[in-house]
Amino acid sequence: MREYDIVVIGGGLAGLMAAAAATKRGKKVTLLSLGSGTLTIGGGIVDVMGYLEGGIPAATPSAGLLQVGAGHPYKKIGRPAIEESIRFFKEICEQEGYSYIGNLDKTQWIPTAAGTLKPTCLVPRTMDTTELKKADKVTVLGFDALKDFYPSLIAKNFKKIPAFAQKEYEVVMIDPKLSEGRDVTALDVARWLDTEEGLASCIEKMRNVIDSGSVVIIPPILGTRPNYAVKEKLEKALGCHFVETASVPPSITGLRLRTMLVRYLKKNGVRIVEQAIVAKSIVEDGKCVAVITEGVDRERTYYAKSFILANGGFYGGGLLAEPGKVIEPIFNLPVEAPTDHELWANYSLFSSEAQPFAKLGLDVDEKMRPLDANGKVLLNNVFVAGRNLRGYDFSFEKSGNGVAIASGYQAAMSV
Amino acid sequence: MQKTTVVVIGGGATGVGILRDLCMRGVDAILLEQQDLAYGTSSRYHGLLHSGGRYAVKDAEAGKECIEENTILRKIGRHCVEQTEGFFARTHLDDEAFEGKWVEACAKVGIPTIPISVEEALRLEPNLSPKIKSVYRVPDAAIDGFRMVWQNVASARKYGGRVLTYTTVAGIEHSNNQVVGIKVRNTLTGEVSNIACDFIVSAAGSWAGEIAALAGINVNVQPDRGTLIAFNHRITSRIVNRLRPASDGDIFVPHGSITILGTTSASVNKPDDTVPNAKEVVELLNIGEALFEDIRSYRMLRAFAGTRPLYSADPNATGRGASRGFVTLDHAHDGLKGFVSVVGGKFTTYRLMAEKVTDLVCGYLNVKTPCRTAVENLVEDTSPALMAKARLYFPAYGAELAASRLGSEGLEKVIARIQEKPEKRQLLCECENVTMAEVEEAAADSTSYMISDVRRKTRMGMGTCQGAFCTFRSVGAVDANGLSWGKDTNVLFKEFLQGRWKGIRPILWGNVMREMELTRGIYEGTLNINGAIDNEGI
Repeated sequence: MREYDIVVIGGGLAGLMAAAAATKRGKKVTLLSLGSGTLTIGGGIVDVMGYLEGGIPAATPSAGLLQVGAGHPYKKIGRPAIEESIRFFKEICEQEGYSYIGNLDKTQWIPTAAGTLKPTCLVPRTMDTTELKKADKVTVLGFDALKDFYPSLIAKNFKKIPAFAQKEYEVVMIDPKLSEGRDVTALDVARWLDTEEGLASCIEKMRNVIDSGSVVIIPPILGTRPNYAVKEKLEKALGCHFVETASVPPSITGLRLRTMLVRYLKKNGVRIVEQAIVAKSIVEDGKCVAVITEGVDRERTYYAKSFILANGGFYGGGLLAEPGKVIEPIFNLPVEAPTDHELWANYSLFSSEAQPFAKLGLDVDEKMRPLDANGKVLLNNVFVAGRNLRGYDFSFEKSGNGVAIASGYQAAMSV
Repeated sequence: MQKTTVVVIGGGATGVGILRDLCMRGVDAILLEQQDLAYGTSSRYHGLLHSGGRYAVKDAEAGKECIEENTILRKIGRHCVEQTEGFFARTHLDDEAFEGKWVEACAKVGIPTIPISVEEALRLEPNLSPKIKSVYRVPDAAIDGFRMVWQNVASARKYGGRVLTYTTVAGIEHSNNQVVGIKVRNTLTGEVSNIACDFIVSAAGSWAGEIAALAGINVNVQPDRGTLIAFNHRITSRIVNRLRPASDGDIFVPHGSITILGTTSASVNKPDDTVPNAKEVVELLNIGEALFEDIRSYRMLRAFAGTRPLYSADPNATGRGASRGFVTLDHAHDGLKGFVSVVGGKFTTYRLMAEKVTDLVCGYLNVKTPCRTAVENLVEDTSPALMAKARLYFPAYGAELAASRLGSEGLEKVIARIQEKPEKRQLLCECENVTMAEVEEAAADSTSYMISDVRRKTRMGMGTCQGAFCTFRSVGAVDANGLSWGKDTNVLFKEFLQGRWKGIRPILWGNVMREMELTRGIYEGTLNINGAIDNEGI
């Protein structure tokens, strides 16, 4: 029987950050991951706090943190730990050669594939908007057969944004000739640019349609690897500035971030078990002794001193919804939810209010340990992170990866 | 001012059936629809082409009409009909005495019922509850309400029929007790105009009472709300009816890769009271369990509701007690000539209703041409040569789907778009196999004003993901082709996703909840289409 210090359940950003912070404290960590988490779906942009209740934009992420309600995970974690976690995240990125820009004192408004801007906190340098803001003329570049990017939509909608309305927009297309009768995603284009030949071919095609000195908005396609080599080579060859947009899945920025964090964890001795479906736990005297996985082969038991539960809420399977109730399947932790299902959701999908169902989740103390309805700690050595937490609507607030980083970090620090 | 002979009100099955029949008999006609075609009850039901078995005991006349029309529609509308056949299955909870009465009543009106053993039934439909007691085969079939309406319109257009959607009736113009025209309002532009006509036919379904009231005439239609669930599985390959007196939650109808379970029945005050709720869904699941024990393990797609237009001369009769037969009301008897309402009825008998009304109108107009709607197919079959051409561009499964959706002419046009720009063969909607070219073709139609209109024509956004991926693509593609109807694209996004949400909200648990986390993550989290267009801090 091998016993680890910490078993992390979940391979999304919260789990990866929890594992990273734990190794930094010298802990022996096993990470059980079912899939790639939501990073490759949701993306590698770190939102911290964009909108407050009522749909009011937070002046800065930092100001937003101060204004969240009592039940919000940020309130539990506390400001110093949030600041530390962001600092720690940026350190890892820096160290791994894939640095992020931004800080808690400034909201970055970044372009999206729908031609809107969204408020966020940290972005990779491929999404740096410094030059975009200064430019009088902007080129929006699309790829033939890439059905998840419509440059004319972006150009048209930017004209409606006051700060972007004075700029001139030009829409250009290049044909990467990747289709061969099948559908093309941003991932195909990014992989094409990963190769020397692809990059050279792309530069040739781009040279025909964009002028030197242009600021060019593109889908997220600047390579799949967590570095800036593709960006730098393209910019150098063409004398342009490229800005990737926030876009629909598959998310290339998320893929890069995940690749980088997994590499970092492996370097630091974290054991990563893939395709591990954690089915149940062994609990004795208010402490978890082990969790049991059901994989493709047999049951396996993972013993540890502490457990971090970061398996992604409803999306990841960390929480299961039924009419009028929510189940946490591994530890059977209680989740408070209205028994009248009509109260779970607003009639309008989009409004100035967060969705009640998005705030359902596990209640925790300041150390991220699960609580019962009376505020009593249920399991002393289990710590909850990420989307399993109650009290926040990541879509509405624009706070997803921020909560993941801060709560993952806090969970690891509380062990 | 526009002029026509007959104005037909209502873009459901009955209205488009009347339009087609009139135009085929050479009568000039315009159809008005307050929303999009098939927006109302014609798409908000289970899509069952009744054999008549459900009505045989209580209403022999309705049962007889059903089996006759069922036979006709299988032929003229074969691209809308899936010949599944049906079961009537009695469960352990149902009254045995009813079974004999039912068999007898079906025989009387000519509905064939073939008894089979429970073992045989379970072999054919393994998901059925093994607790069922007896099973009969009947000639039920599945019918696509959207497609049936569209193909009627396509046929009517060939005979000169005109259609105005998003057009409401603001007033009925008459002079000396004779209809002379109709005042209409375009709900998208607000523009009010008059159409001169000799005749008005109201086929407004649940809204028929409101239309008649505009002329000061009382038509007693009671909207009766029915809620249904669409499952993302072909739970059964045959229609399964519960063999008991007609009640809630006792019909399962397979459509392509999905199954619909319906329905509930509740009197409502407003004909557009079509927001389903979680309580109704849970009730349907509880009842449906008697036929399919594993019902809770199937992924739901959405819930939806429609209102049946139940007519009664007696204002006190409601719900399933009121007649589902149809009545043609010639308002000449109420003192207004040139105004007819057709009320009650059911989807299966829409063509017959249309024929009777058109006979009445033609009698007044002295038009002697006989009705041919029972013998002429709605759309032409796709030729083998065209199918071969389609297979060059569509995925194998998609070619068949597109051909039956579009009909011969539509398919030809979509192929032409792909030939012009090969990348338009891409599937914008992977769930329902809808290409970019088809979305563009539907968007370019004169009756399309928003993405939901494109959805009803193509089925895009109606599959498993309920718009999570195809909403962005269809807005992008439509906009890139200058077809965005002058609307802000954020408005298009929101309109479409809100429409999907209406049916998701009442089933928000299980995998639907997971899907919603994804959908909101994309549109609200990443694309920020909910955020104000903000320039703070830039």
